[in-house]
Amino acid sequence: MNGPEEREAMLEQVALYALGVLPRPEAAGVAAFIASDPEARAEYDSLRGTVDAIGLVAEEPVDSARSARMKERLLARVRADVRDGVVARRRLGPNPGWLWATGLAAAAALVFSVVTVVQDVSLRGDLAAAQRRAATLQTQLAQTERVGQRDRQMLTDLVSPDARRYDVAQGTVVVRGDRVYFALSKLPALPKGKVYQAWTAPKGSSTMQPSLTFTPNSDGVAVIALPVDATRVGVVAVSVEPEGGSKAPTTTPTFVRPLS
Amino acid sequence: MDPGVRLMERIRARDVAAFESLYDGYHRLVFGIGLRMLGDPAMAEDLTQSVFMKLWTAPDTFHGGSFVAWVSRVARNRALDVLRSRAARPETELPCTDMPLDGALDEAVIARLDAAQVRDALASLPPEQRSLIELGFFGGVTHQELARRTGTPLGTVKTRIRTGLRSLRETLAQKVSR
Repeated sequence: MNGPEEREAMLEQVALYALGVLPRPEAAGVAAFIASDPEARAEYDSLRGTVDAIGLVAEEPVDSARSARMKERLLARVRADVRDGVVARRRLGPNPGWLWATGLAAAAALVFSVVTVVQDVSLRGDLAAAQRRAATLQTQLAQTERVGQRDRQMLTDLVSPDARRYDVAQGTVVVRGDRVYFALSKLPALPKGKVYQAWTAPKGSSTMQPSLTFTPNSDGVAVIALPVDATRVGVVAVSVEPEGGSKAPTTTPTFVRPLS
Repeated sequence: MDPGVRLMERIRARDVAAFESLYDGYHRLVFGIGLRMLGDPAMAEDLTQSVFMKLWTAPDTFHGGSFVAWVSRVARNRALDVLRSRAARPETELPCTDMPLDGALDEAVIARLDAAQVRDALASLPPEQRSLIELGFFGGVTHQELARRTGTPLGTVKTRIRTGLRSLRETLAQKVSR
């Protein structure tokens, strides 16, 4: 953060983040800012509840037939779940994309029955295409949901009041549960052919083990989740390394931070 | 206490009657958010089914706080997932609403609000602030897209959203304290 104007601009971004109108790259930068700046965090906390309240205005009476139909379908599945003794933690629910894909598949099945009757070979091609598209849509939605869940977890952890925060000159190391993140916003630009590399040392050890390599955006912001069990990590560090990373640090670390 | 909180406790014990009560109490909100965001009753219905099945199959994802705030976030995030999955736009042009599902400081306030109070509070905002906030919440668009759609400079969009949300917060707090 270079000055009061830039800081004010970032605080303005916090309101946009709370409303959910920032694209993902900017949102990650603002989450890092919130994680490391108490004033930003207070601004976020105060506006977040207000944003939640906006959803209430969408509440509308639902057509009684539709309401009853939805309820009947849901209760049928819930009762079947109980009857079968499936105390599920797995995801049973049809998501919109799943139904969408299923709808396509059903449409394809209908087309297929027509094909069978009229022996129209060209429709068989349409069926195959529809089935491929249904499969593609299902895959895309599943991927979108996986990414969304991972990012939600990360952003939840970054701004969580019960997360542990360890300040470093370039930002903050955030630990929550068994997860550890770097929320860095002041990283110097890298020389050509170089990347930043994260390092971790197990508790009770001083031997650094290589972790992810990463490059910050043009504003010096990088938010990364380390693929380690935070409960077993004693020290984290970052250094500048050649592209592809190193097996051991080859430069003076940008920072070294014990997690205690 | 938000009645949804108690019902979720019973749902954890696989209480079907509690699930039915939860549906009766909150399906209008979930369906309404889906309809406003997706613009299609059939898709809103799918979304409602999906959200309530998630509540049944994964009740532990609710960690307490205001149930109404939490379920609103779940519904909105789910709708955004749908918008993303069908969007032809690159990821960088889509909004990120992957915000925490866990609590916010004002949850006690939200639990005491109803839709009419929030509508009144929104209506009290200057139209140029209200329209940006509503489009931002329900539209599934970024601040750049808001600027394009409304023909407003990006800096003005940012200032209006921040000012509007702060005013809304004050108005809602006053309504609850009365």
